[in-house]
Amino acid sequence: MIRFNPLTIETITRFKRIKRGYYSFIIMAALIVISLLAELFVNSRALIVKYNGEYFFPTYGHIIPGEKFGLDYDYETNYRELKNKFKISSDDNFVILPPVPYNPYEIELKEGAYPPLPPSMSDKHYLGTDKTGRDVAARLIYGFRIAIFFSLILLFFNYIIGITIGSLMGYIGGKFDLFFQRIIEIWDNIPYLYAIIIISSIIIPNFFSLLGIMIFFGWIGMTWYMRTSVYKEKEREYVLAAKALGASTSRIIVRHILPNTISVIITFIPFSVAGGITALTALDYLGFGIPAPTPSWGKLLAEASEYNINAPWIGVSVISALIFILVMVTFIGEAVREAFDPKQYSTYE
Amino acid sequence: MSTYIIRRLLLIIPTFIGITLMVFTITRFVPGGPIERMIAEAQQSSMSKGYNRIKESPLSESQLLELKRFYGFDKPVIVSYCNWFANVAVLDLGQSTRYYEPVWGIIKSKLPVSLFYGIMAIILTYSVCIPLGILKAVKHRTAIDNVTSIIVFIGYAIPNYVLAIILLMVFSSWLDIFPLGGFTGNNFHTLGFLGKTGDIFYHAALPLIAYMAGSFAVMTFMMKNALLDNMASDFIRTAIAKGQSYKGAIFHHALRNSLIPLATHFGNNISLILMGSYLVEKIFNIDGMGLLGLDSVIERDYPVVMGILVISSLLFMLGNILSDICVAIVDPRVKFE
Repeated sequence: MIRFNPLTIETITRFKRIKRGYYSFIIMAALIVISLLAELFVNSRALIVKYNGEYFFPTYGHIIPGEKFGLDYDYETNYRELKNKFKISSDDNFVILPPVPYNPYEIELKEGAYPPLPPSMSDKHYLGTDKTGRDVAARLIYGFRIAIFFSLILLFFNYIIGITIGSLMGYIGGKFDLFFQRIIEIWDNIPYLYAIIIISSIIIPNFFSLLGIMIFFGWIGMTWYMRTSVYKEKEREYVLAAKALGASTSRIIVRHILPNTISVIITFIPFSVAGGITALTALDYLGFGIPAPTPSWGKLLAEASEYNINAPWIGVSVISALIFILVMVTFIGEAVREAFDPKQYSTYE
Repeated sequence: MSTYIIRRLLLIIPTFIGITLMVFTITRFVPGGPIERMIAEAQQSSMSKGYNRIKESPLSESQLLELKRFYGFDKPVIVSYCNWFANVAVLDLGQSTRYYEPVWGIIKSKLPVSLFYGIMAIILTYSVCIPLGILKAVKHRTAIDNVTSIIVFIGYAIPNYVLAIILLMVFSSWLDIFPLGGFTGNNFHTLGFLGKTGDIFYHAALPLIAYMAGSFAVMTFMMKNALLDNMASDFIRTAIAKGQSYKGAIFHHALRNSLIPLATHFGNNISLILMGSYLVEKIFNIDGMGLLGLDSVIERDYPVVMGILVISSLLFMLGNILSDICVAIVDPRVKFE
């Protein structure tokens, strides 16, 4: 069990007291966990199939060919059809489908209608389909999973690099500091989306190479903040005391300075998460992000502005999802900031 | 102070070289430059003439060499960078490989549009944020403060391109109040002066809101927090103890000190004024610097990309120095050594 010191406990209590941020945090955490289990909620594979007294759980694991359920094909079973088939027959076979029985890649075409199709409860396309006939709800949820994890991994690496270089800049100072200041100024000035667009025309990016490119251009933000706060902390007496006791540079930075600058780091996390989602969505919107057919909010946004009011369900669902998530992240950010830096103003009136 | 500024100005040079060298090197290693474009164009025209020679390059070996020499691709990166830099030093940004026109001329033709949007956005942002910030500080923790906070928060959370799409969908497509984009209407040249001004603002309303959204929340909260800090400080207590009215204390003492952080922020806005936002410009189809930059990146028109980079990076660095000067002017306690 991690033991928190009294100051941390006080900060956490303060955070919990800010209801807007605290509830947003709980909802957000729940959404991330649910998105990890998205296969159970949004999937073309059934949750449970009972066939001739035997139970199948096809969600995870290998595909189950149609032959197994007495169908006449050896590719993956179409559980929606299977369900209809079982319904007609009088056996006690049954299929339990997830709430949204589509996966984000499958294209469902209907005779006599061209996608995008409006939402329909009977087809279980709760948010309609996009322009190639894929379920919007499924793409939203899987797109969320990709965007949030992209953003979290990006944040992790950016912070590792930023904190390391930033603390060294602040602590060592001198030539080292001046050199990295110039590097940061250069990096800061390179129009980051332009560079990504140019690079993604050489290598068609996938999740990890896009991540790599974005880390390459994105580590500077945290570096700058860390430099300033370490620079301030360095002059404090406790650092001098640690130095007098013979602590090494790495020990002073890791064990003494970092815990005292943790508020800076934590305060920026929610804003970096929002920034990561925004940047990935912008890239996908322009068509330079993770390539199709990966579900992404940016692609949906592009379709939304392409179809405009002819297919409002795409725009309404992706924009509300985006606003919902980003507003929640911002609320968390404000609450964290307030928890670490409570300003009790007393004005004179 | 002046030595500080001179030192800062001199530091621009290495940074500028670093930025341009890096982007220059990236552009050199990317396929699809001007020569590839010419080959593709030549292939298309020979195909349309009925020759079936897709596999073969339509240009001979010697023609290719000539082209490479013309664009400087036969030399190492560092040599052609030096050539490019020498040209920039005498204010020659080269020729666009897409329009075969001087880069500077292209940039100059787009600049007024971005300038208009940038300046208008800055004026509107300051003229709304400062009063709103003051109001929120004076009415701290009241209903007005909480309601405006939520609105400003939501505005802050939504990226400006998403806001632009929302505005376009709601006000242009659905309600049909505002035009779908562009800088001016089709009948612009037939209008009188008043009509022209009206037309520009009619087209500018939605993009301006999207432009403002970015810095709006930051500025409002900066104003509010700075004023709150000052209102809680000792010199205000002194002023009130000496018989100054509460209003007088705020407007004569606290407010002036609270404008300092806003002044710091001003320099950062300079590059935004001129460069615009390519996403907003793309969504509203405004033919400004942002869209020019994005298009030339996509079309691999690297002389234009480099030209825009030169202007934007210089502006950014000058803006930073200007920020420092602004701070020194409004706050006499600040001394740069």
